[in-house]
Amino acid sequence: MTAPVDDRPAGAPSAGVLGATPDLAGELDLAIGVRGDRSIATAQFHQGALRVLRPHYLDDSGQVCYAVVNPGGGYLGGDRYRITVDVAAGARLLFTTQSATKVYRTPGSRAEQHVHVRLGPGSALESVPDQLIAYRDASYTQVTTVDMDPTASVVLAEVVTPGWAPDGGLFRYDEIRLRNEISVGGRLTVLDNLLLRPDAGLSGMCSLERYTHVGSLLVMDSRVDAALVDELHDLLGPMDPDGQLGLTLLDGPGVALRALANATEPLDAMIRAAVDLLRRRWHGQGPLNLRKY
Amino acid sequence: MAGTPVAGAPAQAPPSYALALAQLCDSALPTGAFSHSFGLERHLARGLVHDEASFTDWLVQFIRIQLCHSDGFAIRLVVEAADAAELYRVDRMLAAATLPRQVRRAAATMGARMLQIAATVCPGPELDGYAAQVAAGHCAGHPAVPFAIVGRSLGVPLPELLAGYLFATVTQLTQNAIRGIPIGQNAGQRVLRAVHPEVAGAVMRIQTLAPEDFGVSAPGLEIAQMQHERQRARMFMS
Repeated sequence: MTAPVDDRPAGAPSAGVLGATPDLAGELDLAIGVRGDRSIATAQFHQGALRVLRPHYLDDSGQVCYAVVNPGGGYLGGDRYRITVDVAAGARLLFTTQSATKVYRTPGSRAEQHVHVRLGPGSALESVPDQLIAYRDASYTQVTTVDMDPTASVVLAEVVTPGWAPDGGLFRYDEIRLRNEISVGGRLTVLDNLLLRPDAGLSGMCSLERYTHVGSLLVMDSRVDAALVDELHDLLGPMDPDGQLGLTLLDGPGVALRALANATEPLDAMIRAAVDLLRRRWHGQGPLNLRKY
Repeated sequence: MAGTPVAGAPAQAPPSYALALAQLCDSALPTGAFSHSFGLERHLARGLVHDEASFTDWLVQFIRIQLCHSDGFAIRLVVEAADAAELYRVDRMLAAATLPRQVRRAAATMGARMLQIAATVCPGPELDGYAAQVAAGHCAGHPAVPFAIVGRSLGVPLPELLAGYLFATVTQLTQNAIRGIPIGQNAGQRVLRAVHPEVAGAVMRIQTLAPEDFGVSAPGLEIAQMQHERQRARMFMS
């Protein structure tokens, strides 16, 4: 890892300045539907420091892939972003990022991203972003609400890593909150409200323990059962370097994965292995290979 | 002389809620709490909790994370609920916010027992309505909800209600730690005394939490609670 401190070019416009509305630094709306045997965007809107690259089809499954770009380079204090994703009946979206999301110093403030997802009958969203890097003195809140049909499928991955501080140490972001609210058929089913505070408690007991990196995967899909959770455990257990992998069956049904490590790679590897197993099992797709454009 | 009333000072009854509250806050209340460690047993197995000091550290984190943002906040929301629908929504939020399967099951089991005991101590229409929702499967059940319904119907001041619930839970966990680590009974009492400020602080914090704070969790606690499902030798069911 060689990410320097605050590597925005001097004088680069901040994401906040690019925002066309006073309230939001960036907005993105994306609606996905089905045409023929492919999923395509049926509506698209962006404003300020958020846009998507042109769509890609990584295989012949018809699943469309969109990558979000933040031309501002990173998030700053007071920045608020809004993303709305609507996946219509039968459509499938792979949602990713062009590069890591970076949250810079947010002194006395915080950066926020609010993501609203609606999933129609038989639709599917896989959200597999690059890692979230939070630098010294950064506070960031990400709220994702998913309103899904009981026949829809959602996969939400996240890896959080600390940026390097000037003294070469880690652990310098203030606070990250990742809140996922998933409603299935209008009923609140998962309220995942993860709080990461590297400075909380000397030993880090129950928090980050003695680790620096956090991985999370949430899956809600009617095909999840206890046997699948066991299978995931057998597959991922040997990949877990620190014995800090947790997997559990959710009502819904679904599965939650939590893991801690001291590097991004093992967390990425476990999450990718889980995502690949589900893609193969449910959609007959090959392993995810996100070429970056 | 003993038993002689002081002239002019009438004898005082305890507050109308005092005995009901004392009964529900009894750490030996038969809710099955003695068989749940809420992830503590995983920290024991890893050697991270092994004595009085390390258990105190664990307990402080448990108070700050789970008791504050889930159980405690839920009690406040039940007391503040404008109608039955809002009250049932708190039950839903608790179940949704509890990702580890064993902890969800513990809440449902202990919740059913607490509901029964609460109906014995202080029966009422709100409790009946909630019991019907649990029986029908619309509500999941959680001990904080019937506890708070009773507190609300008796008019227990919120800080006292919260302090009672939190300290009863902390006492149950300490008794489990005394058996599980093990540590001595005197050490257990020292831990309980040491967390008085934490419990008092949590009672204050719960009153200032915002809606987005509901169900806040932390990765180490959740991972321990999830890993406990696959732990081989276990004294506890969570």
